[in-house]
Amino acid sequence: MKLLVCISKTPDTTAKIAFNGENTKLETAGITFIMNPYDEWYALVKAIEIQEKWGGSVSVLHVGPSENDAIIRKALAIGATDAHRIDTEAVSADQVAFQMASFIQQHAFDIIFTGKETIDYNGAEVGGRMAAQLNLPFISFASHLDIVTENEAIVKRDMEGGTETIQVNTPFVISAAKGMAEQRIPNMKGIMTAKSKPLNVVTPQEYSPKISIVSHELPPAKKAVQYIDPENMAELARLLREEAKVI
Amino acid sequence: MAAYFNMETLKFLMFNVHKLEELLLNERYNAFDKESILLFLQSVADFSDQDLYPIFKEMDEKPAKFSEGKIHVHPKIKDILIKQGELGVIGASFDESMGGLQLPATVMHAAYFIMEAANNHIPGYAGLTAGAAHLISSFADKKYHDQYVPNMLSGEWSGTMCLSEPQAGSGLSDIKCSAKPLDDGTFLIKGHKIFISGGDHEYAGNIIHLLLARIEGAPAGTKGISLFIVPKYKISPDQTLVNNDVITAGDFQKMGQRGYCTAHLVFGDNDQCTGYLVGEENKGLLYMFQMMNDARIAVGRGGAAIASAAYYASLQYAQERQQGRRLLSGGRKDEAAGPTLIINHPDVRRMLFLQKAIYEGSLSLILQSSIYHDREISEKENNNHWNLLLEFLTPITKTYPSEKGKLAVDNGLQILGGYGFCADFILQQYYRDIRIMSIYEGTTGIQSLDLLGRKVLMENGLVLKTMLAEIQHTISEGKMDERLRATAKELEDQLPLVEATLAHLIPIAMKGETEKFVSDATLFMEAVGTIVVAWQWLKIGITASNVLKSSDAAFSASMLKNKLHTMRFFYKYELARNKSIFKIIQSDEVLTLAEDDAFPD
Ligand SMILES: Cc1cc2nc3c(=O)[nH]c(=O)nc-3n(C[C@H](O)[C@H](O)[C@H](O)COP(=O)(O)OP(=O)(O)OC[C@H]3O[C@@H](n4cnc5c(N)ncnc54)[C@H](O)[C@@H]3O)c2cc1C
Repeated sequence: MKLLVCISKTPDTTAKIAFNGENTKLETAGITFIMNPYDEWYALVKAIEIQEKWGGSVSVLHVGPSENDAIIRKALAIGATDAHRIDTEAVSADQVAFQMASFIQQHAFDIIFTGKETIDYNGAEVGGRMAAQLNLPFISFASHLDIVTENEAIVKRDMEGGTETIQVNTPFVISAAKGMAEQRIPNMKGIMTAKSKPLNVVTPQEYSPKISIVSHELPPAKKAVQYIDPENMAELARLLREEAKVI
Repeated sequence: MAAYFNMETLKFLMFNVHKLEELLLNERYNAFDKESILLFLQSVADFSDQDLYPIFKEMDEKPAKFSEGKIHVHPKIKDILIKQGELGVIGASFDESMGGLQLPATVMHAAYFIMEAANNHIPGYAGLTAGAAHLISSFADKKYHDQYVPNMLSGEWSGTMCLSEPQAGSGLSDIKCSAKPLDDGTFLIKGHKIFISGGDHEYAGNIIHLLLARIEGAPAGTKGISLFIVPKYKISPDQTLVNNDVITAGDFQKMGQRGYCTAHLVFGDNDQCTGYLVGEENKGLLYMFQMMNDARIAVGRGGAAIASAAYYASLQYAQERQQGRRLLSGGRKDEAAGPTLIINHPDVRRMLFLQKAIYEGSLSLILQSSIYHDREISEKENNNHWNLLLEFLTPITKTYPSEKGKLAVDNGLQILGGYGFCADFILQQYYRDIRIMSIYEGTTGIQSLDLLGRKVLMENGLVLKTMLAEIQHTISEGKMDERLRATAKELEDQLPLVEATLAHLIPIAMKGETEKFVSDATLFMEAVGTIVVAWQWLKIGITASNVLKSSDAAFSASMLKNKLHTMRFFYKYELARNKSIFKIIQSDEVLTLAEDDAFPD
């Protein structure tokens, strides 16, 4: 089967976030970027598992400049066959989806994977937008994927209080959520092998932005520990309800 | 996941301070680049988060246990050993011809540092296996490499180093374990070995002991010691594994590292234990020094790793615990503001900076030693130069992080106040775990004798001279930077103190009063160790200052400024103490030499 996994980069979960350019851009100094975990742990590993069972290839696709090659190499080290990088800065979900769909239109893939969302902007938009442009079925937040034949798959999605089971024919776009697969940690041999796997640089298509960022605002700083008089349980209940919002 | 190390600091030390990319230009390592090494370290960090850290406390609470002739360790160990084999942390630094990838040892030390900071009870199993396999590959007949090494590098079989005996710990010349030659060229091994780390457990398919023993009729002392491969199970001609008469007599119950088993092994109680000679007869200790020198750096690394984990645990606590008030300018307490976080008290900050200065300085020293090691094995034309530097630094790299690491963890525990003393908080475990570092692989006393009694005098002082030239080079570089001039001068002022101390001591050695000459070797180690780490801090300072001046945005300005601040802390609070240590060593008053067996009660 010909499988494609769309991967993006996000700041490491422990990164201290700040903005510059009048709060329109992320301050990247000192920040480590990682492959978006939903793309890596679930989408990519599931695609590799399918390839191991059914044969074929797993390509990865990324929109971004060459500084992001380390993330692509990681995908190759985990087990992808080859990679394509569309050589332009990723600026919005719409632009990324447009660039990737334009690339996919020129290649035939059986299944196109994305992660369910990126862990920075949490937009969960790219998969849907791509599927729309490609006129393909889109299944979001999938937690299970079973290949029945090379042309047919059964997908499960977790819903509030239960699961939904869906039958779909290839080709389709799917966004992977927790449960789809288990993280694979690349080993030293895989990392070295990845260095000789193909990484093709693709020229981006013309795109005119439809939106621009006006500003970002950080959430209020975490408060220090608050001590509450044991005599004053009503105050504790109020804080848990109104501030922590846990009851 | 709790923080136990800092990847940014590790990267900064490896690639900026120690310029790892320059080493990678070398033919032996040029298959690697920064990107592949960072990917590998991230893999090690992910593995440590998922597999090592979660069972750290549990391994202390449910330690390795001996029953019915077997040692039982944590059930996850089997899976972990195999995963470590796959990851590459056992075999990746081996030569390509031996099944490895020629990964620099510096990278391997960084990987083990991460794993040990996550859980110091586990990496020793793989580390000893790699060390034992390396000894076989380096010195034993090729057929033994083929029989044992591949299974060791995959993590299926384990390895150990069997030196210590009840009567022979620091003094290996008293080893009694015997080896009787047999007609087929093998040997019958007989004797007890104690304190054998990873000596036996149910999850290794076989355990390959690298054992020191004395061939019948061999000369007395260290010149009569040979090295043997003694497997727990022999490989029979049909490739099945059969018992080799290695009996486990017990597991030592310890105050720390309780999940890392420590066996008492009995070899050849039924006269059925076969050993295979490694290399030539009577050269065993020479060969074993390869493993011991690596293990010494590894022990120092363990000390630095535990100190790192303790620092981050105490830092987190200090950022959450409120207690007391800040003092206003008149000395009054700021009652209106309410209790402050303890991280705002100068004394707590002092304890945090002390830990940070010790652990980061120690980590830098470990990387420095391993860079010398990598250069020694890869630059044939200049390898003697790197070897001299490594020789000098090895006992210090073992000792400084072990000794000062204890002090650092002690300060970390103190930050938690009463909770630090309680089992619910992890600091007490770090405090117990780190205690072994200054004991095994040669105690601090023995390392100090090595430094003063051997290394300082070696090659007519050339080793020391080479080291001092290297330090002076950094001082000169530091003096060119306005921001670092005073710091560089403070380090420079230490060098005459070393010279004056040696001018006092060497005539004592020349007079043949050797015991007096080395009587304060441990103090000498302490002072010289501090100078060496101050040198590392100056290197860190120079690098931080240069990166701050450049447009390189790989590190945040606040991290770089913190490095400069911590460097100053080290100089003010640690290096400054050296003067009084040198004064003690230079004193003519002799108080510790034994005149007879009596000691005042
Ligand atoms: C948990 C643990 C794991 C270990 N793992 C291994 C292992 O895997 N393999 C192995 O072979 N061994 C191992 N050891 C043994 C360890 O290396 C020895 O315990 C150590 O070398 C000290 O020997 P000893 O215990 O006999 O102490 P001793 O040698 O009796 O020393 C006692 C004290 O006397 C001092 N001393 C001794 N000789 C001198 C001297 N000449 N000059 C000045 N001071 C001196 C020492 O510094 C020490 O303070 C392990 C030990 C422990 C506790």
